Amino acid sequence: MKKFLSLFISLVLITTLLAGCGPKQGTSQTEEDTPKSNTTETTEAKEKTPEKEQTTQTPTTETTTAEQKIIFALHDVPDGIDPNVTNNSFATPFLSNCFEGLVSINEKNELAPALAEKWTISEDGKTYTFTLRDNLKWSDGSPLTSADFMYTMERILKPETTCQNVTMLTDYVVNALACYEGKVPFDQVGFKAPDEKTFVIELMDPASFYIDILSLFIYCPVQKATVEANGDKWTLSADTYVVNGPFKITKMNMNEAIVLTKNEHYWDAANVTLEEITFRMIKDQATALLAFDSKEIDGMRSVPMADFARLKAESNDLHIVPSYATSYYLLNNAQPPYDNVLVRKALNLAVDRNSLIENVLQGNAIPAYSLFAPGYIFNGKDFTEGRSNYGLSANANVEEAKKALAEAGYPNGEGFPTMKLSYYTSPQVKLIAEALAQMFKENLNINVEITNSEWAVYYAEVQAGKYEVAAMGVGADYLHPMSFAPVFISTEPTNDTGYGSKFYDEKIIAAKKELDPEKMLNLIREAEDILMEDYPFLPLYHRSSSLLMRDYVQGWTLSPTGNFCFKYAKVVK
Amino acid sequence: MYRYILKRIVMTFLTLFIIILLTFIFMHSVPGGPFTREKELPPKVVEALNKKYHLDDPYPKQFFDYLKGLVQLDLGPSFKYIGKDVNDFIIDGFPVSAKLGLITLVFILLAALPLGILAALKNGKWQDAFVMTLATLGVTIPSFVIATMLIYFFSYRLELLPTFGLDSWKGYILPVIALGGYSISFIARLMRSSLLEVMKQDYIRTARMKGQTEFKIVTYHALRNALIPVITILGPTVAGLLTGSFVIEKIFAIPGMGVHFVESVAQRDYTAIMGMTIFYATFLIVMIFVVDMFYLLIDPRIKYE
Repeated sequence: MKKFLSLFISLVLITTLLAGCGPKQGTSQTEEDTPKSNTTETTEAKEKTPEKEQTTQTPTTETTTAEQKIIFALHDVPDGIDPNVTNNSFATPFLSNCFEGLVSINEKNELAPALAEKWTISEDGKTYTFTLRDNLKWSDGSPLTSADFMYTMERILKPETTCQNVTMLTDYVVNALACYEGKVPFDQVGFKAPDEKTFVIELMDPASFYIDILSLFIYCPVQKATVEANGDKWTLSADTYVVNGPFKITKMNMNEAIVLTKNEHYWDAANVTLEEITFRMIKDQATALLAFDSKEIDGMRSVPMADFARLKAESNDLHIVPSYATSYYLLNNAQPPYDNVLVRKALNLAVDRNSLIENVLQGNAIPAYSLFAPGYIFNGKDFTEGRSNYGLSANANVEEAKKALAEAGYPNGEGFPTMKLSYYTSPQVKLIAEALAQMFKENLNINVEITNSEWAVYYAEVQAGKYEVAAMGVGADYLHPMSFAPVFISTEPTNDTGYGSKFYDEKIIAAKKELDPEKMLNLIREAEDILMEDYPFLPLYHRSSSLLMRDYVQGWTLSPTGNFCFKYAKVVK
Repeated sequence: MYRYILKRIVMTFLTLFIIILLTFIFMHSVPGGPFTREKELPPKVVEALNKKYHLDDPYPKQFFDYLKGLVQLDLGPSFKYIGKDVNDFIIDGFPVSAKLGLITLVFILLAALPLGILAALKNGKWQDAFVMTLATLGVTIPSFVIATMLIYFFSYRLELLPTFGLDSWKGYILPVIALGGYSISFIARLMRSSLLEVMKQDYIRTARMKGQTEFKIVTYHALRNALIPVITILGPTVAGLLTGSFVIEKIFAIPGMGVHFVESVAQRDYTAIMGMTIFYATFLIVMIFVVDMFYLLIDPRIKYE
């Protein structure tokens, strides 16, 4: 009966979806349930996940005769699966298993050699020299050399390729921006291939986290022959999708099913056990859950919110992995009364983060007091360890909040204009928005007017600065605190916060150039301290990502940045 | 007659042109663009995208370029799915949706017509009440509720049928029922009331007076006329069924084209919105034309001049 009820709730959700003229599934993802794209695996995940998770995650050594095939349900179609072009989180199940770059981040969350066997970094931190492995091959058996990297980088720097993450090249590599803008030819860009096995990257400024950036999909090589023969369409059919990762695609119908089979030409094919993965597109989560329960599929990527509590209580197949991400509300720093730091402080203090997490997110998150999420470990210590909580706490501090608001000139909320709280259409985001409105009303006596619109409209307005208090979130692209920093850098075109502090900017710039990793982290911490003195936004929580997978599928990894890799997975029955 | 057909064809193109123009205007006046994605794109990438897809051209040029492509049956590239053409949506999705739709159509006709006739002939009896109750339920319960309940009982509880997909013939059973539920009920009701109406006509009384069997009266004299309203409604029904249903295809994870009708709008995938609208509009117009031709077969009194 309980199941039937939850089914009904999901029906209601479908109705809302239709009534709202269909918010794109993907948009609701942005904030709530999926981590963002790119790189890295899950050491940190292991520290925080329940025990059952660890046992599943650890590959067993016993030999097995079970059929090495699985069917896994995905719930949304990516905009494409060209590793250079897309940064869509729904592309990661394909890219993580079909492509590899120079480096990757292994299952222990450490940076590891991938296509590059080794590399050296010059003393000034500006020149990276990679040596490729011997006998690297594409999935069609042809050799993969440094020339493929050169071709790929040149391709990325052509504007018409429309690479969504192109700033990951143009911000760092010598002359990459000039080449992108058509001012210099590609041969003057800081990419060189002195011989078949050597690939050199020259940076404009030293950046010790650049090696982490190199694990992003945009840096994965693509094969010149197939791209030139098929243009944009090379990713659309199994025959032309030439890859270099542990798996290749043998059947491709993106709206129905994509079959990945083991790539015998992969350099580490000896360590790949799984023979076949079928990614089945099931957009309706309730259907997918019933298919999982009736054993038609072995796992599914997205767990329906309505069933979360039940599954958490009774299922051994539910896995929760913390995301390297932060969910927050923007406070428009450029607009009164939110230009007043005391107002922003009051709002921050008035929020009961625990209540949001327990009541709305079913405990599937941890409170956030700042922008930078936990998950980056250096010398065995998480970056956020020992960080101040900036006067904030998991529960609301009503007294202090009232005091701050009174100091700002609004004793007991008197004279405070009606707050316009906006969010994008999504059932979960809606619940958060309503809870927040109630907290502001009860704790600060502020009247709140809630509005929502579909993602395409909503995000356009946020980008244009047309909001007061607005739901938003950030998922790190790569596993390094620097990945969060641009949100508040005043010169970043993607800074939608209305906030700008030259002190923060300076600290981040200094951190970028700092070669000593520890000193760099300290500089980021100082920048964070400067940032949070101004309470420029309303951090709420660091979310988690969840999936269902049968216990006989072991050794898969889901990283905090959303990489979903089956390289070491196997079926043990 | 040929003049009439010619006139209809000209009207069709005129109607399509107006639909295209209105869709184009509405589409571009809705806030948000196709490149508002999951993550904010750097301005220079958005600029490159606008250039690549010619969104930086003035609107009239965009519109006429689109028409030029359309004349060559090219619906343009999708703005959302990299490398995909809108034609691909139709080539990949239409056969799937159409096959499911055709099976559903046959099911609808096989179920609705006998039910409606039965109810009309047993007017006021329990058979009538039974059919009408069923029909009322079918019209009032939305298809996604029917679909979810069917999956719950037949796939999950009884484990008789697959939960999703059309991989075997068994996969068709639940989607066909869910998709056809509304139309069966609607057409059965229509059939019933229409037949009741016809049975009161003078010529039926005349036929009875001549001593013809009730069977012959119903099948030969009454049904022909009673079918006209049913055929009228079948036009749009067929167009709707064959081009796919967003809800049913989503719930049963069917790779048809129904999903694009709704998602392309949410994603502001301009060419996809246009393509889907034009495809559906054309289909609908053709179906209505076919219906008009069917009238000729059914009722010799109808003539088009």
